[in-house]
Amino acid sequence: MYYIHAISSISHQQTFDLEFIHNDLQKLTPESPLLVPEFIDILPPTALRRLSAILKISLTTALKCLNESAFDGIVVGTGLGCLQDTEKFLVTINNTTSDVLSPTAFIQSTHNTIGGQISLFLKNHAYNMTHTQNALSFEISLLDGITLLNEGKNNILVGAADEKIPFLELLNEDLIKTDYPFTSIATFFNLKKEKSDRNVLVKDVLVLANSKKDINEVILRFLEKNQCDPTNLTKVYHSDLEISLSTEKVNYLDFTGYNYAASALAFHIGVSELSEIPGTILIVNSLVKKDLGLILIERC
Amino acid sequence: MQIFITGYGVISSIGLNVEENYNSLKNSKSGIKLTESTVFKNYKVANIQYSNEELATMFKLQTKGSRTAILGMIAAKEAFKDHELSSEIRTGLISGTSVGGMDLTENLYKDYLKGNLRADEYKHHPSGVSTIEIAKELGLEDCFLNTISTACSSAANAIMQGARLIKNNVLDRVIVGGTDALTEFTFNGFRSLMIFDEEWCRPFDNTRNGLNLGEGAGYIVLESEKSLKLSKSKAIGVLSGWNSSSDAYHQTASSPEGYGAILSMTGAIEMSGLGINEINYVNAHGTSTPNNDLSESHALKTVFENDVPPFSSTKSYTGHTLAASGGIEAVFALLAINNGVLYPNLNFSEVITETQLTPQLLFEENKIIKHVLSNSFGFGGNNSSILISGLN
Amino acid sequence: MSELKEQLKAQIIEQLNLENLTPADIKNDMPLFGEELGLDSIDALEFIVLLEQNYGLKITNPSEGKDIFFSVDSLAAFIEKNKA
Repeated sequence: MYYIHAISSISHQQTFDLEFIHNDLQKLTPESPLLVPEFIDILPPTALRRLSAILKISLTTALKCLNESAFDGIVVGTGLGCLQDTEKFLVTINNTTSDVLSPTAFIQSTHNTIGGQISLFLKNHAYNMTHTQNALSFEISLLDGITLLNEGKNNILVGAADEKIPFLELLNEDLIKTDYPFTSIATFFNLKKEKSDRNVLVKDVLVLANSKKDINEVILRFLEKNQCDPTNLTKVYHSDLEISLSTEKVNYLDFTGYNYAASALAFHIGVSELSEIPGTILIVNSLVKKDLGLILIERC
Repeated sequence: MQIFITGYGVISSIGLNVEENYNSLKNSKSGIKLTESTVFKNYKVANIQYSNEELATMFKLQTKGSRTAILGMIAAKEAFKDHELSSEIRTGLISGTSVGGMDLTENLYKDYLKGNLRADEYKHHPSGVSTIEIAKELGLEDCFLNTISTACSSAANAIMQGARLIKNNVLDRVIVGGTDALTEFTFNGFRSLMIFDEEWCRPFDNTRNGLNLGEGAGYIVLESEKSLKLSKSKAIGVLSGWNSSSDAYHQTASSPEGYGAILSMTGAIEMSGLGINEINYVNAHGTSTPNNDLSESHALKTVFENDVPPFSSTKSYTGHTLAASGGIEAVFALLAINNGVLYPNLNFSEVITETQLTPQLLFEENKIIKHVLSNSFGFGGNNSSILISGLN
Repeated sequence: MSELKEQLKAQIIEQLNLENLTPADIKNDMPLFGEELGLDSIDALEFIVLLEQNYGLKITNPSEGKDIFFSVDSLAAFIEKNKA
């Protein structure tokens, strides 16, 4: 069994440092700000001056998931990686006329900077992986976390993060076409074989890419495989899809905004809900058409 | 459970396919050179001398994509050429890349910063999209796709990821490796780190002064025993060990003693159940930076208890192909095993003072090469080693 | 010389994003790579950028920088010595 222990998110909702995050969710508007804690109380001086927003929110939420023993694996999913530093270095290349270039943005532009910063901060020498498959990056990271537990490891940090930069908003209508505001999100949690107080577990995760299959049929087969009668589902969280199940359905994009890590925040919302009231929740992510991620979480 | 290798494909500055790459390795023909392009200033690079359009025509590609995706399609198609898709074999693709569609994005940004945005062209940018483009060219649908982005260890980690998903019964067969195009972004990035050598790189040499950047792609096909029975593919090797560990020392530099490298090499060897004296060749990470090669030399001496097997860095041929290097070098490992050869480490003349290790200096034939360890270390501290073995 | 040192301190704060510091916090003889500022080898590369972009001085080998970047005093001395 794959149990969820500590979990932490920073987003445009009140999510950081709260036991339950599902009760006070607000429908986001383009003006909803990213709600960050005082980093100065949490991060060391070098991190404060050098790290971009995605690195700060990732490191901060990851540190909330620490327990007494070192992680046996750190798994990070990010769809677009460190966009702010990538853009900064692109601007540097274009605007610098002298022979030398400032290296910091380049160093921190690679996707694995998130996991690298976490391992560096914790002096953790374990498995450290970065998955980037657009909006499926979180589901793939969760699958990797489960695989690590199957391989005999126990204390795993799994998370996903993506950041908004103004450039993304310029792509709307031409490329992205969304009615939801662009956001920044970091969600990290601790996955273990041992039961946690909240007693919420990941039942299964499915990743299907470049797919022409009917989402509703895939969902039914996924539930069947997990011996889960659709009528027993408490709730379905989805990325603005037509879901044919008669269960209560919630479009999570209203609360997460448009972000490749949105399903990670939806996962946190679901975990929060089950931590209060037992049940089974399905998270359906098809933010990028043709890609489908399914996560089934449960508390008996 | 054994993980069989049933195909390989590669494109790099020393050849457009496996055979061309092998001939260059055999003839000590490096792909690193000065180019006429002003982009790379006076630095030597190991680029592939064909444009995207030329490559698409030469290899009859049906799918459009970034240069990273195009190189990936070419090598992945070669790896998968003797295979067929089947509904009975769950087949996936896991590709490593560090730049994704950056070759297109950096041009787009040039115009955008002048006030002209071509928004639609950004669609190739995400690294995950390059993998989808490769999958489309292979005809893969309704499948598991993933992209690994751990800088220079990306392809090695993709190979490892594929093996793990087969072992965990998520997949039966998977195409794994990596691809990276040479871009202005990475060229300038490494220039900003001041780790380029203006001369030909000299891995493990006392006078080494930095790396030469390259581009390319390399993939192998992994299959479970069940898949092998159904596909009737011919196995050309097995993936016998793997490990990924974190150096956790510095944002860009390796620890002086090579702690992360020791963990990854030891982990891969232990997993295979082999003794250290059974490793016949190490394809080193060997970027030729002062820091990597010293750190890796120390790690090699520690892991092999001062009795280091023949080792070399083929980056003296291909340049550093970043996320692709682990894939390209996995292909080279299979060629070493199946042809019984060792590759020279070009441009070497003087041992590193601190470690006194001499790499393999000649192309040698008629060797018995059963087990090859391949190292890939990424900045950010991602250290990975994979162990490829011949069939018993 | 003291004007140059004050100018350098402001440039260091900007180049390295040391937002919580003022020039007065950086003493002329304080080791820049000591514990107080917590600078590392990435910052050393930023110093190379600072010297080239503001003073036109080139350092091609990062290892040359160790003595030059020791303190504001040594940086100022290097700039004075190499001024055209």
